[in-house]
Amino acid sequence: MSSLSAISPARAAAGLGTASLLLLAASPAEAHIVSSRLGDFYAGALHPLMALEDLVQWLALGLLAGMQDPKRGRWVVAGFPLGLLAGVALTHAGLLPAPPRLFDGGGMVVLGLLLALAIDLPAAAVAGLAVLLGVARGSANIDGLDAANDVVLFGAGMLLSGYAAATLISAATLAFRRNGAGWRRIAVRAAGSWIAAVGCMLLAFALRAGVMQ
Amino acid sequence: MTTTCILRAARIVGAGVALLTLTAGAASAHVQTGVAGGLVSGFLHPLTGLDHLIAMVAVGIWGAQLGKPAIWLLPISFPMVMAFGGALGVIGVPLPYTEIAIALSALVLGGAVALRWRAPFWAAAIVVSVFALFHGHAHGVELPNAANPAAYGVGFVSATGLLHLCGIVIGAALRWPLGERLVRGVGAAIAALGCFFLYAAVLGI
Repeated sequence: MSSLSAISPARAAAGLGTASLLLLAASPAEAHIVSSRLGDFYAGALHPLMALEDLVQWLALGLLAGMQDPKRGRWVVAGFPLGLLAGVALTHAGLLPAPPRLFDGGGMVVLGLLLALAIDLPAAAVAGLAVLLGVARGSANIDGLDAANDVVLFGAGMLLSGYAAATLISAATLAFRRNGAGWRRIAVRAAGSWIAAVGCMLLAFALRAGVMQ
Repeated sequence: MTTTCILRAARIVGAGVALLTLTAGAASAHVQTGVAGGLVSGFLHPLTGLDHLIAMVAVGIWGAQLGKPAIWLLPISFPMVMAFGGALGVIGVPLPYTEIAIALSALVLGGAVALRWRAPFWAAAIVVSVFALFHGHAHGVELPNAANPAAYGVGFVSATGLLHLCGIVIGAALRWPLGERLVRGVGAAIAALGCFFLYAAVLGI
């Protein structure tokens, strides 16, 4: 007797009924999950990674944390994502306006100079910088968000993204500068000087735009 | 048989071309817009002027000749000072004799490499910083209203840093006696070009 004939008519009917029900309940397929309910979560996680203003400052903060003693640098891992969340919440509640464009260049100059000069910061300064930058970037990213978007999901996505970025970049920097020749520390400092230079140019562009408006 | 195959292939190709025609989007004359355009535009800007290019390579070579700490401090300080000069140019702060200073930078830096000038670190830093200010200012004045300033800045600074790195890599040849002569020859060539640029700047060519 084959295994097919072993299926009872009742089980076959039940299976067919279930399959029919599932077919009737099927909704249209969506190629992009962004248009589903979870879209706002992904939007929050990915939105900061689409703009160089965010990318460069996030990178600079991670590099700075990685150049500090691990006991002090690890404050960035908690401070930055929480700052992002605070920025999103405060701006959404109307308590904090989005930062002006000068903040983008200013943040890069400060972080880049701290990196290039290889300044050892106390834990409170590291945490303060992380929270400040987080609040500014969270506020800048939530600004202009559509009313139809879910702010909670958007903020949660950004929190996760900020946590991942802060952890991965600082850990990678620490591993890079610890295991190897002295030039590695110099390379990170050179990256800091580049970031400060980019920030300086961004400040000038923002100033010129302000003057011309 | 062969004719049938050719006809069949022609039909398939024809159908493909028709499909492509139907699905074609609007043509863009310039594809480099937004972040990509800003990056490319910023990256190419320091590479398009020979006077800037040779001076920046010379900074790297001279740093390699001077050894530590100049080999890494000069390329770290140059982008920052140059960006400061660029910022002055962007916001419209005037700086006199820019073209002459840029030509002099190639002459002095190339000459320093050719003559193996073992300048004290502070003197080298001052020389490089002063010239960086003028180079940055010249770039800043010429900068367009970048569609994406951040992308433009990243491209511009990366290209400058990579030119220094080129100089440092050329300076690696200093390990060998023949390499040292070659490096000094490169310095002499840069100085000679600097002479030409100075001549052109003074005469306003």
